[in-house]
Amino acid sequence: MIDPRPSVVAARLAGIGRIAAFCSAKGGVGKTLCTTLAGLALAARGKNVGILDLDLQGSTAHLFLGVRPGMPREDKGILPLPVTDLESARGGGLVLMGAGVFAGNRALALRGHEVSDAILELLAVTIWGPLDALLLDLPPGIGEEVMDLARLVPRLQAFVVSTPSAASTAVVERLLAFLSEVKVPVAGVIANMTRGDDSSVRDLASRFDARYAGEVPWEPQVEPALGSAARLGQTAAAAAMDAVLKGAGW
Amino acid sequence: MHEWALAEAVIEATAGALGGRDPSCLRGVTVLLGELQAIDREIFTFALETLLQERPFRAASYTLQTEPARFRCTTCERDWTLAECTSLEGDAREAIHFLPETAHAFVRCPSCGSPDYRVQAGRGVRIESLTLDRAGSCA
Repeated sequence: MIDPRPSVVAARLAGIGRIAAFCSAKGGVGKTLCTTLAGLALAARGKNVGILDLDLQGSTAHLFLGVRPGMPREDKGILPLPVTDLESARGGGLVLMGAGVFAGNRALALRGHEVSDAILELLAVTIWGPLDALLLDLPPGIGEEVMDLARLVPRLQAFVVSTPSAASTAVVERLLAFLSEVKVPVAGVIANMTRGDDSSVRDLASRFDARYAGEVPWEPQVEPALGSAARLGQTAAAAAMDAVLKGAGW
Repeated sequence: MHEWALAEAVIEATAGALGGRDPSCLRGVTVLLGELQAIDREIFTFALETLLQERPFRAASYTLQTEPARFRCTTCERDWTLAECTSLEGDAREAIHFLPETAHAFVRCPSCGSPDYRVQAGRGVRIESLTLDRAGSCA
């Protein structure tokens, strides 16, 4: 028995300039926020960006960006949904795919092999077309999502997200060790939801010889902006993420 | 017509499985179409035929077989089939067509209502077998 899907994954991603997973071993550190802010920041620079929400059981990228779930259009595959509420003076664009597109707000309880199957299916049938960047929003942990992407996705890089809390850095440290083992390069370590001076995330990056990309300070204007790509893109957090990306050479 | 993407995957996987063997030695490919994904056979066949035009093993015959979907409840161990999922309607069926794992958002065990079950068979598209000519230069 042969699973045919892995044979087309590289071809599906061939027209994409850079591919990065936004990941963290710790939950609640703001991976989806960082992913969506990064997408908005790059689109504001005139880039064409895709976001693949691989947090299958807790999809929220569509909620952040104000994309209503619905069946995608087809053209020899399935086409990601456009983020229409977007203001890019330079003509950039942002598109989204993920299980949330199909399941909406319903509970999607999956076991491990089903997570792997869903990831592989999305990678095999989504037609991204030419993009400057594809950003992969991962759930917390070092599970199927990280292992499958490390195995399947060529040229994969990782943005590792942590808050300054010791509860986060202690766990994220394990992810950095794992990424080193599976040889996924770390594009940058991001300190998210910072409040004042705290070097713990910078120190963490330093211990792994990883690039510290910078910080996204906690900002009260983010919460009311959720659900509107245009408003989210105008927050100070979005500007901070743009600086973080530049700090990582993106 | 996302059947095209899966047909392309079948062809690329076939090429990969042949490895260094002479592609003209490939006689047949048996493809299982999982009932759950509800692949349109006509579109899938058309996509295969179109995509094969450019391939060195285009003479191989492709046999499509439907693999019935079977579910087993992890909670009460009830087995059931897709025919028993009577409440599945338009958008749910389409979502499952695109991403079979979304069945877990719509299908429940008909006995105990649990969302915790396994799709035992008939999920999606797989290649069951390749048949190679063993005569002449292919031996």
